[in-house]
Amino acid sequence: MLWLISAQLVNGIAIGMIYALMSFGLSIIKGLLNIPNFAHGALYALGAYLCYSVVSLGMSFAVGLAVAFLGAALAGLALDRFAIQPVSGSGYLPQLITLFGAALVIEQALLIGWGTVGLSYSPPPILRGAINLGFTIVPRYIAFASVFSALVISAVWLLIERTKFGAYVRAGIERPETTQALGINVDLLLSAGMMLGAGLAGLAGGLALPLVGATSTMGGDMLGIAFVVLVIGGLGSLYGSIAAGVLVGVVQSLMTIAAPAASTAIIYAVMIGVLLLRPQGLFGER
Amino acid sequence: MPIAQTRRDVLLSAVALAAAPILPAWGQRAGVVTMGVITPTTGTFAYAGDLVARGASLALEMHGGSVLGNAVRLLTRDDEGKPASGVRRVQEAATSDGMRYFIGAYSSAVGLAESEVAQREKLLQFAAGGSEDFTGSRCGRYTFQWSAHPYTAMRATLEYVRKTFPQKKTIYTLTADYVFGHALLKYTKIVAAELGFELVGNDNHPSGERQYTQYLTKAVAARPDILLLNTAGADAVTAVRQFASFGAENIAVVGPWSLEVDQLAELAPEMRTGLVLGQNYYPDIDTPANREFVGTYTKKFSALPGYSSAYAYDAVRALLMAMEKANSTEVPDVIKTLEQMSWDGVLGRMSIDPKTHQLIRPYFVVRCKQASDMRHAADFADIVANGDKPQPPELNECKQMPAL
Repeated sequence: MLWLISAQLVNGIAIGMIYALMSFGLSIIKGLLNIPNFAHGALYALGAYLCYSVVSLGMSFAVGLAVAFLGAALAGLALDRFAIQPVSGSGYLPQLITLFGAALVIEQALLIGWGTVGLSYSPPPILRGAINLGFTIVPRYIAFASVFSALVISAVWLLIERTKFGAYVRAGIERPETTQALGINVDLLLSAGMMLGAGLAGLAGGLALPLVGATSTMGGDMLGIAFVVLVIGGLGSLYGSIAAGVLVGVVQSLMTIAAPAASTAIIYAVMIGVLLLRPQGLFGER
Repeated sequence: MPIAQTRRDVLLSAVALAAAPILPAWGQRAGVVTMGVITPTTGTFAYAGDLVARGASLALEMHGGSVLGNAVRLLTRDDEGKPASGVRRVQEAATSDGMRYFIGAYSSAVGLAESEVAQREKLLQFAAGGSEDFTGSRCGRYTFQWSAHPYTAMRATLEYVRKTFPQKKTIYTLTADYVFGHALLKYTKIVAAELGFELVGNDNHPSGERQYTQYLTKAVAARPDILLLNTAGADAVTAVRQFASFGAENIAVVGPWSLEVDQLAELAPEMRTGLVLGQNYYPDIDTPANREFVGTYTKKFSALPGYSSAYAYDAVRALLMAMEKANSTEVPDVIKTLEQMSWDGVLGRMSIDPKTHQLIRPYFVVRCKQASDMRHAADFADIVANGDKPQPPELNECKQMPAL
């Protein structure tokens, strides 16, 4: 039994890192714009499709991931300029509805552009097969995806915590009016933050391509989990989503041992439990 | 201005009001037969909705668009892959549009819920799906089942595996946690015992699951010879995709009812190579009716038909033939005729078991090819076996068909 728990723990951490990458972008946008990005799932799907198109043209998977990030970032910029900013003075609800509408537009565009049949891509040969850990085997691609996610999250952490740009972003999240008063262009900052968050969603989509393929509705599946992770981590916490992502992955994976059919339901049960005991989330502040 | 100015106006208004509720039924008799195509165009089985509609409309078109001098009207409704939505759509179409026949659903859970409405409203349902309940514990006089019985499907598939890979003896199952998966799991146990396989583990997964590595980690650790997928649709596609990343080439992947031709295109060639799949339908089936169907379908839609389209095509075609044979478009007459009818369908000579309303038909087993062996983009597999062993009567729970 111990080996099975260990095996599921390893799997859960690996999957959790992908959840964390997706939720981290959502968390940045939530922090900067103070709205839940309902189009985040659609940007994730866009990333998967862009990555697929690039590798289909014979280019490497690494280029595919880069294009997934950049393409989704540009889509994020377009969303900010043409969907969010025009209604930003109208309050919270119009922004939510606009983002929801934008998600539908992106999903339909994916259907028109790439068709209704889902797409698959096998990872590069070097990432195929499995690593034998003795007590379990872990697919190489899962291991790569989790390490890569951890590296990306670390890089974004360095960007936010150790650079002037990051300092502006943090200031924009915590004290937008004061930041503006100091002569910093907060609108530009918000656009940059939106691009970064959207780019991370696209990158997560590209990274998920060999695991879940590309379908126009894949964003909806992932968005639910990303929001659960965001709520568990704490809506005001930039880094809570990382720990919460890993927690959700591990809980989901371990649940397969006891009650496999409940492995999806358990993540919602955990969210309810966290909200009851700590309404601000594990790392959020009241 | 007064609504009715004279006594004659009042009387005419009263007659019009009294006639209103019976107008749909009058419309039916007056030369229009309304058939519903109730399928999912959203949800887990979203890929199938349009394909089912294509098959139904093609059958009607090839029949000239009418039957016994009555125009046939096809209604298409999205059941969203949800029982509650399916029931609502069937009820609305029957009440508002005068629908008396329908093709659907594609998911067992939805189809069984709709079957309750079919019995209550006396609508003829030609269903598809893998649950045995259609022709078992929840059988009904108004419901017919086009798809194979899960016993037939499991037996045909595992019989092929037993003969082709005699050294493979242990099975790990991954099962969709609803009626469809449960039926397949039940018959996995029965057929495995009949053929001498050992079941070493099972995991149920929720419908719509997108993360399978936790189940697959368990399955691979159990070191089975065979991973048997008792799951279908997008769930099966994702499971196969993620299993490919484990590189466990010594474990054969067998799907007795998992992927059809339309979904095989969703998998990269290296992911599907070697898959052993049971099929309700495959375009290579060599019968005159199927050759005609495939030829016309391919010309019209520039694609090969799969199970979804073939089911709808064959079911609508059978209904139209039954109406002509009965010389009536009344549902009870068509039911009685179907129960006695045998016809050349896309699968060969077909008939209905009057005791259960199960279509008596073969089930096909295909093996997926390597990319280098494919003659064209949709040449995914070869038919390697077929079987038509019916469910043993002692296992059937349909006690007695009620009177019409």
